[in-house]
Amino acid sequence: MYVAVLLAIGYALHAAGDRIEYSWRWERIPQYLVSNEGTELKASFDGFVSVGADGKSLTLKELKGGRRETLTGFDDLLVGDGDLVFQNDPLARKRGLVPGPLTLGLWMTLRISAVALLFSMLLGLAAGLGRVSRNPAAYGLATTYVELIRGTPLLVQIFIFYFFVGTVLKLSAFTAGVAALAVFTGAYVAEIVRAGIEAIPKGQMEAARSLGMSVPQAMRHVILPQAFKKTLPPLAGQFINLIKDSSLVSVMALTDLTKAGREVVASTFSPFEVWFTVAAMYLVLTGTLSWCVRRLEKRLAHD
Amino acid sequence: MTEPKDEVLIDVRGVGKTFANGVVGLKNVSLRVKRGEVVCIIGPSGSGKSTLLRTLNALETITTGEIEVLGHSVHASRADLNRLRTHLGMVFQSFNLFPHKTVLENLMLAPRVVVGIGEGEARERAEQLLAKVGLADKAEAHPAQLSGGQQQRVAIARALAMQPDIMLFDEPTSALDPEKVNEVLDVMKVLAREGMTMCVVTHEMGFARAVAHRVVFMEAGEVVYEDEPQRFFAAPANERLRAFLGQVLK
Repeated sequence: MYVAVLLAIGYALHAAGDRIEYSWRWERIPQYLVSNEGTELKASFDGFVSVGADGKSLTLKELKGGRRETLTGFDDLLVGDGDLVFQNDPLARKRGLVPGPLTLGLWMTLRISAVALLFSMLLGLAAGLGRVSRNPAAYGLATTYVELIRGTPLLVQIFIFYFFVGTVLKLSAFTAGVAALAVFTGAYVAEIVRAGIEAIPKGQMEAARSLGMSVPQAMRHVILPQAFKKTLPPLAGQFINLIKDSSLVSVMALTDLTKAGREVVASTFSPFEVWFTVAAMYLVLTGTLSWCVRRLEKRLAHD
Repeated sequence: MTEPKDEVLIDVRGVGKTFANGVVGLKNVSLRVKRGEVVCIIGPSGSGKSTLLRTLNALETITTGEIEVLGHSVHASRADLNRLRTHLGMVFQSFNLFPHKTVLENLMLAPRVVVGIGEGEARERAEQLLAKVGLADKAEAHPAQLSGGQQQRVAIARALAMQPDIMLFDEPTSALDPEKVNEVLDVMKVLAREGMTMCVVTHEMGFARAVAHRVVFMEAGEVVYEDEPQRFFAAPANERLRAFLGQVLK
């Protein structure tokens, strides 16, 4: 039954493509995942080129200064003997396979998500502890933070981080993007942490305190280890959301997987194939994460 | 049975407590416990026995009066509660063992974290105490794998691991199957015989009669009557206590 429905959906998609006379060109996609363009070696300063006698080496002599640079081990020469080149001009090419724009985008998405995940955990833990704290300042600050973040759209927060916070603090697009995602996810993590702590019976804290532990000691050794186990499934869901939400940072000057997809569509005019591919790549990320969390849950269940 | 010494360890003077919802928990309660003394507190549910016990290590606050334990005022704002609580072991009705740790780790945690003794010493101390409560073979088990009686014996050993001067028991056998009650009471009897100072909130009249130096009867937040066990159970000179004993000893 399951397979039948999937097949039916697949056929419907195919038929829909035919209806609008869309010509599928899946063969165009792989070059954007892995390209064989190779890497270009670029000039690091302005100067004159002199090519070695065998054509296997190249020396760049600086125009206004004494610096010299010798390149070897390339495959194709892109300049001639005696040419004047400027900084960042391509000098030679090294053949071989290199990651294409979609793969680079995936890498960027992975990096942003991983760094944001780390910081959102720290932020969420701090704010979650604030939410259960009896200290009015800690409770008030944490509550304001959570309500403020949960009450505004992520896209708006990203714009604020990019245009306002980023400008004032002179943050790079990457830092601003990570900060926006971490602050956003941290608010949800805080609520998960709070719920996890509150789910631990009161007697646990009383037992720990009656043995002479301070509140931080009891939290660290008794409450949080138990709460962590309970919060693992909702935390995993939140981190999967984080990976998906990271697509919104493509509005900044950051070439993540979504932005890379848009650029590839612009050069191939094959939106269907590209977006299906991008979706599949997100699925690989989120699927891997939830698989890891399931493994961790099983391991913890054994203790 | 060892005789109590003259040193007063717990001195409760005129303590009253009103809960946040306006319910009166304790009314002008006074109680003194000497070193080596075993005091059992009995009474109907809601009479304030557990509340009184929990004010002794400040798990509950008080509204009026004063409590001194080992010469320190428990409810003063400058009281070092964490330090004071290391001298007061507490055993709860619902055991409250740490479920994510093994039995041995339950016993080792507080001495390691609070007192800061080394791992080897903590382990040695924990193993001795487990042997004492008859559970040396359960050191590596998790609390969920033990029966209620075994869990409560671990909880007693966990409190003893801090080498307290006083042990507080809050209805330690009330959550147990009837056939498991005695294994816990036996451990408590051993402690009493060794001269441990104990405050026991309990419904076990047989235990109170056999082990206590003094039995306290509470009702509606007040200490109504207290006496040594022979007179307490034989012919109490108090109408309300006679009625209560008539009910529970029937």
